[in-house]
Amino acid sequence: MNDLKRIRVAIIGTGNIGTDLCYRMLRDPRFEVVALVGRRADSPGLQMFNNQLEHLISTGIDGLAPFLDEIEGAFDATSAFDHKVHWERLADSRKWMMDLTPSKIGRPIVPVLLGKIPSMTLQEDVSSNYSMVTCGGQSSAPLVYAISSNSVGIKEVEISSSIAALSAGPATRLNIDQYIDSTEALSSLISGCKNVKAILVLNPAEPPVMMRTTVNISVESCDVDQAKISAHSIIAEVQRYVPGYELVVEPHLQSQNTISATVKVTGAGYVLPEYAGNLDIINSAAVETAVLHAAAFRNMVNK
Amino acid sequence: MSNMHLYDVTLRDGNHALRHTLSSQFVKNYCEQADKSGVWAVEVGHGNGLGASSYLVGKSAESDEALLTAARNSLKNTKLAVHSIPGFATIKRDLVPALDLGVDVFRVATHVSEADVSKKHIEFLANKDVIVHGVLMMSHMIDISGLLYQAKLMKSYGASAVILMDSAGYFTPIDVSERVSAIKNEFEIEVGFHAHNNLGLGVGNALSAIQQGASLIDGASMGLGAGAGNAQLENIVAAGTREFSLDSEIYQFLQMSKLVEDSYPDKLPRTTSSSTQSGLAGVFSGYAPQVKAISEEMGLDTNTLWKEMASRKLVAGQESMIREIAQDLMNL
Repeated sequence: MNDLKRIRVAIIGTGNIGTDLCYRMLRDPRFEVVALVGRRADSPGLQMFNNQLEHLISTGIDGLAPFLDEIEGAFDATSAFDHKVHWERLADSRKWMMDLTPSKIGRPIVPVLLGKIPSMTLQEDVSSNYSMVTCGGQSSAPLVYAISSNSVGIKEVEISSSIAALSAGPATRLNIDQYIDSTEALSSLISGCKNVKAILVLNPAEPPVMMRTTVNISVESCDVDQAKISAHSIIAEVQRYVPGYELVVEPHLQSQNTISATVKVTGAGYVLPEYAGNLDIINSAAVETAVLHAAAFRNMVNK
Repeated sequence: MSNMHLYDVTLRDGNHALRHTLSSQFVKNYCEQADKSGVWAVEVGHGNGLGASSYLVGKSAESDEALLTAARNSLKNTKLAVHSIPGFATIKRDLVPALDLGVDVFRVATHVSEADVSKKHIEFLANKDVIVHGVLMMSHMIDISGLLYQAKLMKSYGASAVILMDSAGYFTPIDVSERVSAIKNEFEIEVGFHAHNNLGLGVGNALSAIQQGASLIDGASMGLGAGAGNAQLENIVAAGTREFSLDSEIYQFLQMSKLVEDSYPDKLPRTTSSSTQSGLAGVFSGYAPQVKAISEEMGLDTNTLWKEMASRKLVAGQESMIREIAQDLMNL
């Protein structure tokens, strides 16, 4: 397996996110998964891929070091703390990283907004770090864009997400403030509004609920009909890389000068169950960004 | 009963009944009365706690800062307390300013099965010079061993007390007594109890909790609170003075309830057929208006809908699910 056209990657982290990424990229002809990196030989995440890839590494980032020449970039699905260490270790080796942790080291990216927001561009450097922000950020961003780009005088933006309690991993639970801060920062970047609020509700209902994100935006004025058209069109674009992303409530006037809309995210159901749309949308965004980045800059990598 | 503390939620849970229109003027008037009553703490804020004013659960008429400042200036003897749910509130945006405003008691709350979400908030507060309680909301939605596990988590983060909230008004006195005694027998921690009145058992449940050693008892003047309301504070005091030699004077508590009664005559909660059904089903009673509207629209029996909502373990904040559940029932 040394197909030059495939994007050669490593995945760091063998939890829910890492194994789901590995599973989906092993089935994706655009990628070659060279290594999966964990920290324990008995990690169930590593064992899931026995005999399926070249390097199953159980000694963390140190174990990946000898194989850096074989990859173009890495997906980091560990923790914000570990990502900082990993990024420093890879800094000299001209690799890109897709950061699925809330570290905020990299530039926030929502693939569908590339070229639509001035600050959201591919990084013109081989050793680039992209932050996938949060599930609330990825799921709300297209709506925030569709509504705010058709509005004047944005006064307030609110993003509220509910996710199945079973899909909220230990990192999200421990770092719920980080989730809120990162989601708010992204909404602010897209809308240009400083008055933003993000809310996360963990929902233990049974059967587990699909992720839902509602956006409320208070404005001086909004062309609601145009916002509806924009929402449908941007959602169709997102569906190219997140098939389970749907508009369940169109942008509408919720109360005087407040526009509201809701999306639902159903996961693709690879390793993660379908209700884990929150994790699916992050992984889908990372894969899409890697494809776009590699297409633009892999010539530099291969030099 | 000098180690028993009455905890007044009128200005927080009551804000649900007022649809978050609570004013700093009323906070001032009420706190001036409460400060003379011997009540241990007064909790103030949005119904869903610090930082919860939002389109999702309702906008507050006044900011947390305005309400807390009014209370702080009027309380000399009674402690100032807040309710805070991680996911709505953050340390930096909400807890730090509340500390600066001089809040004495912080209650960090999660759904009963999600205590681990409170870790950073409780740990942060436990290192400050304040009292920190952990709150388990909708505490009927887990078995006793699960409850013990979640309560222990909160204790391990540094909470000095764990408060069991009967958010749906589902418990009977026996349920309360089993749960409070299970915690008291298992490990060393103060236990609190927060009743709702859906089945008319609020005060009885509060007395049952006291009997098993609960030392933080929540109540609201006139029961002003979400759904069918809370246990009436003045009635806990009246019954408590007889049953437990509670050393509180009823007179001042009646001044507080009269203030609420005169100020909000059309907002006082009561048990209704709908709140009884939701209490029996163990579903958050704030859903009553939606259940009524959707049932009527689809020609569905409200009781059937409440029961199905209960079997799906619906928690607060899931308004959008009710219609889906009703549609599923119609398609059976």
